[in-house]
Amino acid sequence: MTPFDGWTVPAGAGDRLGEERAEAAGGAIAYPVLSSDAIRGLCSSLRDSREALLSHAVRDIAASLGAVGARFGSGGDPLREEALSLLPHMAGLSPAMAELVLDGMARDWTEPRLLELLEAEFADPRVLDAFQAGPRGSSRALGPPFTLHIGAGTVPGVSVTSLVRALLVKSAVLVKPGLGDVVLPNLFLRGLQEHAPEIAAAAAVLYWPGGEGSTSDAEAAVLAEADTVIVYGSDDTIRDVRSRTPASARMVVYHHRLSLGLVGAEALTGEEKARATVASVARAVATFDQRGCVSPHVVYVEQGGMVSPAGLAGLLAEALEALEHEVPSGAVTPEEASAVHQIRGAAELRMAAGEDVAVYSGGEAPWTVIYGPEPDFKASCLNRVVRVAPVRRLVDVVPHLVRVRRHLQTVAVAGAGEAAELHESLARAGVLRITGFEAAPWPPPWWHHDGMGPLTTLVRWVDAEE
Amino acid sequence: MSPRAEFADLSRELAGVFSEGVDRPLTETAFNDLALRSFAYQVATNPVYEGFVRGRGTSPEGVGSWQDIPAVPASGFKAVRLVSGDPGRVEKVFRTSGTTAGARRGEHYVLDLELYRASLLPNFLAHLVPDDANVRLLSLIPSPVELTDSSLSYMIGCVADRVGPGRAEFYMDAGGRIDHGALRHALARAEAAEEPVLLVGTAFALVHWMDAMNEGAWTFRLPAGSRLMETGGFKGRSRTLPREEFYAALTECHGVPTGMIVNEYGMTELLSQFYEPVIRDSADPGLAERRHVPPPWVRTRVLDPVTLSPAPDGSPGLLCHFDLANLGSVCAVLTEDMGVTVDDGFRVLGRSTGAEPRGCSLAMDELMSASSSSKEVRP
Repeated sequence: MTPFDGWTVPAGAGDRLGEERAEAAGGAIAYPVLSSDAIRGLCSSLRDSREALLSHAVRDIAASLGAVGARFGSGGDPLREEALSLLPHMAGLSPAMAELVLDGMARDWTEPRLLELLEAEFADPRVLDAFQAGPRGSSRALGPPFTLHIGAGTVPGVSVTSLVRALLVKSAVLVKPGLGDVVLPNLFLRGLQEHAPEIAAAAAVLYWPGGEGSTSDAEAAVLAEADTVIVYGSDDTIRDVRSRTPASARMVVYHHRLSLGLVGAEALTGEEKARATVASVARAVATFDQRGCVSPHVVYVEQGGMVSPAGLAGLLAEALEALEHEVPSGAVTPEEASAVHQIRGAAELRMAAGEDVAVYSGGEAPWTVIYGPEPDFKASCLNRVVRVAPVRRLVDVVPHLVRVRRHLQTVAVAGAGEAAELHESLARAGVLRITGFEAAPWPPPWWHHDGMGPLTTLVRWVDAEE
Repeated sequence: MSPRAEFADLSRELAGVFSEGVDRPLTETAFNDLALRSFAYQVATNPVYEGFVRGRGTSPEGVGSWQDIPAVPASGFKAVRLVSGDPGRVEKVFRTSGTTAGARRGEHYVLDLELYRASLLPNFLAHLVPDDANVRLLSLIPSPVELTDSSLSYMIGCVADRVGPGRAEFYMDAGGRIDHGALRHALARAEAAEEPVLLVGTAFALVHWMDAMNEGAWTFRLPAGSRLMETGGFKGRSRTLPREEFYAALTECHGVPTGMIVNEYGMTELLSQFYEPVIRDSADPGLAERRHVPPPWVRTRVLDPVTLSPAPDGSPGLLCHFDLANLGSVCAVLTEDMGVTVDDGFRVLGRSTGAEPRGCSLAMDELMSASSSSKEVRP
């Protein structure tokens, strides 16, 4: 197989990258081995192109980005087809899951969704074009001259969303995607180069293996160039990048996040309703093979419904088995497979010891449901491994979240009834998003991503007082 | 026969096997026979294991080969109490290291310390002092008096009674503090007296020790015949060194050649250990080519990580041990360690081989208290 070129740079800038190439992901991805000078050259070319970007109206930029984004959702389009042919192998997803993920991600890359985002973030998005008069003088919002995005690679497409956000605030941008997310940002930028070369000239996508090693000099050089560094990844990655980023650069951090589900008795008032609820729970767990920060690790079930928490665990297992056929799980690493065996085996032993534990699993398929009485929040080993625990009332879950409060993200809720009190308690516990199971994998474009406005967090406000 | 008599019988027989040492391999038939009898005993006396085995749809009657005996996951030692016999007669509980506050530690209930002793001694001696050398044992592993629930400390305590001229000397306390001054004097004394030394320690303790040596600009040229046993990984308890660098530093600091440095691979969940036979064979194939060998009473299989069926020869997989010394708990243990079969042993490939983490929701070690087993750092 010819390796996929893991880089896309503005026309002309390619010459600066030099000739030396290396491969990653077992030869599936090629990337240029960069000198510090080469990467500084690329950064300055991107910066230079920002001037032209500033002269475009934000609505036009959104239209151009949206036109490219729409191609990924349009059946038969060569960009979409190429993405779908590459994603299963490169992102470790089954073809069906790759399609589900691409559809879900690409929905937010269309013009109407981008306009919705702009309008949610700015009372008047034209503050990104020029000073706009307000009741107390006029204001202007400017994106950073140059942003560096370091992606995690957990979920394909996240780097595209990040790229799009930077271009909407008219920042020159270099995206270094994670290994599992190399395809989409490259294809997206190639589409943009065709459709709107002037805008695309301010953007580059470039994979290299992060952290220490042969590329660390180049990485240090690019970290020194960036005005804003946006980093997605594990706490270790964040710590590492933070330690090497100049103090004067701004950092926007999306670290480890953990999500959970709450099923209230009202969602379990009958067999049919319970099954419908459980189907959406299973989908929330299975989407991204649970690798998303929005994927639930534990589902807490309120006692007193027609279906007991233990009964729900059994139904959830059936639903995950059905999903395994509809949207199979992707390849797992040996370490991940091992973790699944350990968790299953330990649960089997607890069952054998007479504890109130049940374990359901997909055999060679990794999905696993473990029912157990203890309410502590334990992170899953991922790949559709979920715990089910009973709670007397949904709000009783709150004390058990203390240990993970800094990592909490989405709580998917079904059948909570009058929920104001619950929402307030969850918010105070550190939760950042409350939604339904159906919507859990797909936050809207305007969501306060990890508590921050996706665009407002990037801009610098300039006020001209009267 | 009563379970207790059965245990005593099997123990006696196993002790006999252990006392034959590591040079007399058991035939497949002999091993299988002992394994099946141990399995039947464990199912009869360990209700938790019995339930587990039944849950796997099998029973001693349905198993004809030791390879089909259901293995418990190493993390099971954290989840339940695995005792094959009367829990009231447990002589010792060994615990895995608790590197994270709040995380549950694995527990190995030992019914018969004598059997542990009988298993560990011949294996240790064969791999560290096959030449019967008169070496002074210096330990960077805390003494069993200090660290009462560590199987590694217990092991060194047993060994100390059998090696060298005097008592073992322990230079690390239960809190992990090294008495640098005392160890420095002991090594200097050995150097001056031309008395060969056997220095044992965990990798992270040795790194801390060498950091102190560098600071003080001390080095030693220990007398010929000196040797080193290192065990465990670094696991965030010191800086991590590539193995080549670590061994080069050990040699540089102590004057002990690489071929006299042996890695011990062991875990609290297993009462037998695995060593690299470099001193024993008087031949070191080079660090990358080394292997660990099980004693005759342990068989190690390499299993496909997904299907858990035997991995094709030479392919990496999960290490699954059948350790007859575990008679009082469960013999068949599935680890989280990746390895590959090499000749009469295996090479440990570690838990993760540099794969990039899967990002924002990758489960954090400290939150996964149900999953990670002890692996390396035993004390």
